[in-house]
Amino acid sequence: MSNPGNMTDKEKTSAPQAAHSGARALRGDAFYPKLLAAAVLLFLAAAVACCLGSSSIPFHKVVSYFIGKTESLSSSEILIIGRIRLPRTITSLLVGGALASVGCIMQGVFRNPMADPSVLGISSGSALGAAIMIVLGFNGVIIGTGFTGAYIGAIAGALVTWLAVFYIARSSGEYDTTSTLIAGIAISSIMSALITVLMTLHHESMERIYMWMLGTFSSATVQKTWVLFAVVGVLVPVLVLIAPRIDVLKLGREAALSLGVNQSRTLGIVLCISSVLLAFCVANSGIIGFVGLIIPHIVEYFRIHRMRRKLIMSFMTGAIFMVVCDCIAKTVVSPGEMAIGAMTSLIGAPYFLILLIKSRVTAGRKGIR
Amino acid sequence: MNIEMEKVTVRYGLRKALKGVSHTFEEGKIHVLLGPNGCGKTTLLKKIVDRYHASGELAYVPQEVYGNVALTVFDTVALGRYDSSKFFAGVSDEDRALVQKAIDEMEMTGMEERIFDTLSGGEKQRVMIARALAQDAPWTLLDEPSSSLDVRHSMLTMNKIRELKSRGGKSFILVLHDINMASSIGDEFVLMKDGQIMYETERLSADMLGKVFDTEFGEGSSSEGHSLFYTV
Repeated sequence: MSNPGNMTDKEKTSAPQAAHSGARALRGDAFYPKLLAAAVLLFLAAAVACCLGSSSIPFHKVVSYFIGKTESLSSSEILIIGRIRLPRTITSLLVGGALASVGCIMQGVFRNPMADPSVLGISSGSALGAAIMIVLGFNGVIIGTGFTGAYIGAIAGALVTWLAVFYIARSSGEYDTTSTLIAGIAISSIMSALITVLMTLHHESMERIYMWMLGTFSSATVQKTWVLFAVVGVLVPVLVLIAPRIDVLKLGREAALSLGVNQSRTLGIVLCISSVLLAFCVANSGIIGFVGLIIPHIVEYFRIHRMRRKLIMSFMTGAIFMVVCDCIAKTVVSPGEMAIGAMTSLIGAPYFLILLIKSRVTAGRKGIR
Repeated sequence: MNIEMEKVTVRYGLRKALKGVSHTFEEGKIHVLLGPNGCGKTTLLKKIVDRYHASGELAYVPQEVYGNVALTVFDTVALGRYDSSKFFAGVSDEDRALVQKAIDEMEMTGMEERIFDTLSGGEKQRVMIARALAQDAPWTLLDEPSSSLDVRHSMLTMNKIRELKSRGGKSFILVLHDINMASSIGDEFVLMKDGQIMYETERLSADMLGKVFDTEFGEGSSSEGHSLFYTV
């Protein structure tokens, strides 16, 4: 029966696709060219972001600052870029990249395209922590630390929430994706409800809490940026390191186990790292939705599928996207600022929908999907 | 390596899925698990993985893959070559050749760049079998490998399993529902019912099957000398 020349109907229909996929040598997702393009775009976006603001600085001066030739810049320009614009740009870059990476890894680990950083309740817990600090009056900079009360409250809130999810999801002795997801969603709604209760009881703080939650990068400082840089710089590479395990987990718990990948342990590590990353993201910029959910899907349109590459590309894309959104947020209603969370959805969602429609149209033509 | 399970009991809530099952699966043979739905076949397979995964000698093919797998066919099969002890190891040329061979053997040639999620149920199953072949483990556990396969591809899979056993000295544990397929491929049969092993045998009989499945069976034989069973 195994006659190689005997083609079934199935094989006949797949023959054109074989031709389409080309020679084996061409196989691959052209990852490195795409990564290089993303790096160039990110650099350009960051440079433009440093130009824009209440007083605009010419592009060539920003680039000279970047490459260390500061002779042509006035001392006030050096101060503006170094103390205000660059910290803000780098903060937005890191937050965007971290949110997209966490979203990417969550969708992989939960095997659910709808998963995003908010499903674990970490963001809401973080916001609750910040809200409590604001209500208690610790909104200003806490002396001796250089950080605001809201910042510290956000990190504490996130860690407390993480411990709660950790404990509940592990109660059966082993993490499983469904109970973690459901525990996270339940805890998330408890946290949101508590914020509402807090805002109702403390009318006077309502606006401040609300504005804090809407998010902005305008409060970035050099010190906070360094802390964020250290956190993201250590934890995102750890995620990149363990990313291939998440591909293996797609085969199911047992098949993964036979390849030496423990589902429960991997999930635990991913949750832990994601929670810390999210804590610092929310503390720096409030709650920014959408980025973690959509950026990984956009990366899939770039035909990058393996988790490690997808994660790196999600970081880059999320970073570019956030820098661009922040540029628009700080210029569009100048001298005021638009909430960054609103900008990400307003710009990102239409772009995503265009991609979605385009891919549907091409899929329709090719007769796939 | 023989696989020895001793007095394995598994509870799902109040229900016992396995009630003190003991059995030794000898290497170099094709073992077939048979029994009605919910009798504990899959649970037993999973328990074997839990117990023996650290040996690195098992490959497992699940009944179905849940959730989205947005990987290409090639990358999915290449997961069989994953080495958890190396963080940066890419797919070596040797691995690449093994992966391509497994893909060719499951007649997936030309579909390497298709995305797993867009495949049909039977094609997904072939990818999962190819994935296990690429792993090249001494033991392969397959949970209903032919449930979505057409006749040609289930024959192809069974022939491949026979070949790997006789030429490569590999061992298999299969959960099968097709009794005649089971009877033609199996060296040893484990018949299960209600979380217990009812029979361990080298040759199926209509009488045993009747007791396990609560259905009357008739028995004939094929030209190759295998027993053929039919329901009465």
